[in-house]
Amino acid sequence: MDLLGNLALGMKVALSFQNLLYAFVGCMVGTLIGVLPGIGPVATIAMLLPITFHLPPTAALIMLAGIYYGAQYGGSTTSILVNLPGEASSVVTCIDGYQMARKGRAGAALSISALGSFFAGTVGTIIIVMFAEPLTRMAQKFGPADYCSLMALGLVAAVVLASGSVIKAIAMVFLGLLFGLVGTDVNTGAQRFTFDIPELSDGIDFAPIAMGLFGIAEIVINLERKMSRSGAIKVSSLWPTREEFRRAWPAVIRGTALGSILGVLPGGGPTLGAFSAYTLEKKISKTPGEFGKGAVEGVASPEAANNAAAQTSFIPMLTLGIPSNAVMALMVGAMIIQGIQPGPEVMTKKPDLFWGMIASMWIGNLMLVIINLPMIGMWVKLLTVPYRFLAPAILLFCCIGAYSLQNSTFHVIQVAIFGVLGYIFVRLGCEGAPFLLGLVLGPQMEEYFRRAMLLSRGDPMVFIQRPISLGLLITTAILLVLMALPSIKRAREEAFQEEEG
Amino acid sequence: MNRFLSKDFLSGVMFIAFGLTALWFGRHLALGTSVRMGPGYVPHMLAYIMMVLGLIIAVIALYSGGEVVEAPRWRPITLVTIGIVVFALLFESTGMFPALIALVFIASLGGDEFKVLEVIGNIAVLTLMCVLVFKVGLQMNISVINGVW
Repeated sequence: MDLLGNLALGMKVALSFQNLLYAFVGCMVGTLIGVLPGIGPVATIAMLLPITFHLPPTAALIMLAGIYYGAQYGGSTTSILVNLPGEASSVVTCIDGYQMARKGRAGAALSISALGSFFAGTVGTIIIVMFAEPLTRMAQKFGPADYCSLMALGLVAAVVLASGSVIKAIAMVFLGLLFGLVGTDVNTGAQRFTFDIPELSDGIDFAPIAMGLFGIAEIVINLERKMSRSGAIKVSSLWPTREEFRRAWPAVIRGTALGSILGVLPGGGPTLGAFSAYTLEKKISKTPGEFGKGAVEGVASPEAANNAAAQTSFIPMLTLGIPSNAVMALMVGAMIIQGIQPGPEVMTKKPDLFWGMIASMWIGNLMLVIINLPMIGMWVKLLTVPYRFLAPAILLFCCIGAYSLQNSTFHVIQVAIFGVLGYIFVRLGCEGAPFLLGLVLGPQMEEYFRRAMLLSRGDPMVFIQRPISLGLLITTAILLVLMALPSIKRAREEAFQEEEG
Repeated sequence: MNRFLSKDFLSGVMFIAFGLTALWFGRHLALGTSVRMGPGYVPHMLAYIMMVLGLIIAVIALYSGGEVVEAPRWRPITLVTIGIVVFALLFESTGMFPALIALVFIASLGGDEFKVLEVIGNIAVLTLMCVLVFKVGLQMNISVINGVW
């Protein structure tokens, strides 16, 4: 194993001035949008996708990754100081973090969550390094039928673990797959659903859809409800007491372990990690009554878990090319914009990009501790900016970004159309994430499906004759059956009810 | 009557409508055989599955009721959409600055509070930011005011 050699290569790439700069920019932007409620990593990455087109691939991906895990750090600041979740993944941090802050332990809560996140980020990065090679080698044995089944499993699992109605989410996946087919058919050259619009013949562009569905729809929903901001709590000393430290570190380790596992699962990711970690801490605690009144464990464990999960959710995307959540779908989109086909080939053909990106994650985590702790005052000030200033700014960046994709106002109109569609989705309780996953995987999945059927001379049995494909399909079926069982259905509904409340 | 206004029933109808649209606009696409699939094979397959799912969602919703869809507030969604469209129309003909003013102004009308001075301040800050980021920083080929800069 030349693991050390790979890491050395990665460090060399990540430590170049340009990549350090973009990692820093990513972490800053990530913290910024993490701190600000009302804009999340999905909308931000969608907004910045067109800009990454102007950057070299490694720098672009390093920056986007930084936004994602940076948002996990920033989100906790708002949760602790204002009792508003900056990010969905830090909803649970509000519960005990804000209570700690009210007791005058705001600084301790902030530093425990930052240091816990750093520890979790480090472990997460090590896990990526360990799993990347074996998984990639396994993926190289996959044939077209296996890939098709793997994507089916990825899509179904993503749906099962997401909140909301399963059947609606599956229908959204199909709708996404359909939108993914717009454009010229690769095999025959036929125009599909292009309505004679030349911009559509290359396929429907990914960035304007993501901006519309996540950026614009989110803005409109936020404008509908009044956003009230209560004042932030002042931060005194950042140092935790010895007692707090003693209680926090085992919780951080538990949160890291749980988050790392949940992050790898399709559909998993930071939010699920944080919720499960909080539930676990409450269950195993000797003093469960303290939870909700400022328990240190209730801050340390979920914060570690969400960051660990943010890191490990890169594993399926980097090694198999299968995005496990909406952010990873956008990362796949960013790779495609750069002309890189995500999948097992990335590691062998572009080792500098692959290892450079991983190494930069650790460096980024280190930067984030510094960005978040000493500079906390600056972020708190930012919280006083009212949403009515932010909304037009986000809109403007979306519009100019969409235009710059191909210097065409058609893409701006597309943002408007998908903004309306995204708004309808939200109102009807249909999730945008499964749609996005389907949209990204659509063209590839069709390609593998057609190739597999061609190789088997039109016999659909090929999907259950190959052992890998069969195993994957059985797993998919088991997941679907499990979801239909009443007891599990109820447990799942309860789990997500907590999230909505 | 409320049953027909539940979120689930309307989503089911939406999926069926999308499926029918796909079938209608894909009607000229050849299906081919399962060995050599034509361009229409997969779209038709996806559309049919989606419509079946939509039908199931709608039927279940009719039997078990479910959450009624919230009445939308028209102001934000309409003004935001108009803002983007006006931006798109102005951007190439007049340049970034007038398009920006129109977008920020119209979008700000969509919010709860509208104070002219604040909006003007916002426009000034955003113009500066956009010029710095897109024109100076990323050297993008866009004109700030057409024919002037």
